[in-house]
Amino acid sequence: MAYSDKVIEHYENPHNVGTLDKEDPNVGTGLVGAPACGDVMRLQLKISDDGMIQDAKFKTFGCGSAIASSSLVTEWVKGKSIEDAVTITNKDIAQELSLPPVKIHCSVLAEDAIKAAIKDFQEKRARRQSGDASAVKQPTTQP
Amino acid sequence: MTHFDVFGLTPALELDVKALEQQLRALSLEFHPDRFAQADARTRLAALEKTTALNDAFKVLRDPVKRAFYVLKLKGVDLDSEASAAQVKMPLSFLEEVMERRERLEGLKHARDVEQARAMADEIEREKSAALERAKVALERDDVPEATHQLGRVRYLSRFIEEVEALEEEALS
Repeated sequence: MAYSDKVIEHYENPHNVGTLDKEDPNVGTGLVGAPACGDVMRLQLKISDDGMIQDAKFKTFGCGSAIASSSLVTEWVKGKSIEDAVTITNKDIAQELSLPPVKIHCSVLAEDAIKAAIKDFQEKRARRQSGDASAVKQPTTQP
Repeated sequence: MTHFDVFGLTPALELDVKALEQQLRALSLEFHPDRFAQADARTRLAALEKTTALNDAFKVLRDPVKRAFYVLKLKGVDLDSEASAAQVKMPLSFLEEVMERRERLEGLKHARDVEQARAMADEIEREKSAALERAKVALERDDVPEATHQLGRVRYLSRFIEEVEALEEEALS
């Protein structure tokens, strides 16, 4: 099966490979895996306090399509707000890379990784805020 | 018709592979297309389909790992299909461990330290065997979530071992 030019481009010259400090309160880490093939993908986002994605790094052990999908999303999410980033779907990724049906799961993995990274950041932020008593918002009482 | 049905067996995790091979030979002779050369088209097609089904079933049933994945599939979880496997979520701690090991292996690849990579693969091979045994126990008990979890582990651990084998091949050439 032939890879599309865009997949090859990202595979041969992946963008933003690397790691960010996962202990950094502004870094969200998304780690996802594909049990059908046993591959793993890690996406890390550095997010400002006002929810803008300032940096993105990935590390993927998998096929060319998985690497290309993760490389592409690091490019796409940089400069976006987390609200915009979560709207990226696997369809957008698969279409951009012209992934064949058997490789659609690679784009699903990349979408899941974005969501997992943002969720991790949000949970960290919530923990930070609940640790800081003055910042705790009182839950609204049910009518 | 399941792969077990093809051989007239009830689904089982333990199989006598030698006996299965003998059965394959006997049945293959019985349904060999050459024996039906003079028969009508429908009979010939049926013989051909039976032969294909026998070979496909044997490939799965002879291998203890593939057999366990197949028994799980018969219980409704197909870890070989992307769509259904995507629903299976492994614990984060396990994925972290996989990631960390793959990174270590990557370092060993760069350093061309095949010996150390083999040592890692041997350790992982033991974990894989243990996970397969646990999966079999779970399948016997009809504990599908536990069997899915353990076979998920088997899948990731197998992938690691394949990587080491590829590295060894490369070192030889």
